Amino acid sequence: MSQATTSTALETAAVHGLILCLADSKRLLGMRYAEWILGAPELETGIACASMAQDEWGHGRLLYALLKDVTDVDRLEHGREPHEYRNIEALDHEPTDWFELVAINALVDLALTVQLEALADSAYVPLRQRVAKLLDEERFHAAHGAAWLKRLATAGEESRARMLDSVKETLAQTTRWFGPDLDDAQALVEAGVASAAGSALRARYLDRVRPLVEPLGIDVAAFANPDFAGFDPATRRTAGSTPDAATIARIRGDRNRMFLMD
Amino acid sequence: MIYEVFARKTRGEPLRHIGNVSAPDDELARVYAFSTYDEEKWFDMFVTPRDRLVEVFNRREPIAPQEDA
Repeated sequence: MSQATTSTALETAAVHGLILCLADSKRLLGMRYAEWILGAPELETGIACASMAQDEWGHGRLLYALLKDVTDVDRLEHGREPHEYRNIEALDHEPTDWFELVAINALVDLALTVQLEALADSAYVPLRQRVAKLLDEERFHAAHGAAWLKRLATAGEESRARMLDSVKETLAQTTRWFGPDLDDAQALVEAGVASAAGSALRARYLDRVRPLVEPLGIDVAAFANPDFAGFDPATRRTAGSTPDAATIARIRGDRNRMFLMD
Repeated sequence: MIYEVFARKTRGEPLRHIGNVSAPDDELARVYAFSTYDEEKWFDMFVTPRDRLVEVFNRREPIAPQEDA
């Protein structure tokens, strides 16, 4: 495709869908980081969580704004019901411990980054113009996730076992999130919107994950063919699943609804 | 372990001590220094474990080499 915009209505809808998946994921990821600003194992890592939360909310904002011509962004941010969210399922519930947060940091954040990288040279110009800045900030998130994953994976038997559990659970969700090989996703690749999709993108992701999970003895090949039963490719989620109500109430800012301005 | 953080605004400018972070290893020290001190636009930034700083002298005590106690 040589034009500056996507060529068909179908492709445009698919791009917008993908942007919403990314925007919602980043919004929720930012909240997950923010939940650990206080109570993280070290003051410094709490500061890092604050910084990453700020980045992710900024990225979410920027991505939502890309949809302003096709939808009411204010409603996207403050007016949706849980079933309308398209975030990656690994962010549906508040992590119960630091191991889960580290798994999210190392693996979910990375999945979003690998997806964004596939859009770095996108034929869809508004996206391409913004992706570089996002990816630049993500380098530090990746370093933080990798350093903590390694630390917990090598800090004794109990720590290793708990890290292993969190990684396996998260990896099952992140690898599934890239989706099966479908015509719709492939059409975006052929149109130059994304450089890869489905299993090809999952393979890129697993290449990046491999060195991270090596200390845990995980063979990433075991995650190359996820079970797609019930998977809805439009939302990249299991059909009928939603983030929990408490999460959505906080994400929407329900407590502060009276302060919303036009 | 405490790491001292050094940075400068432009190439050629002397390194400035800007603070410290507490971290278990070099990797996390780098990450923490970045997230703690990235408010300003630095040209480059370095960390070193505090106990790797070798004192040459200080003005509080005689400059001449001290006798071992």
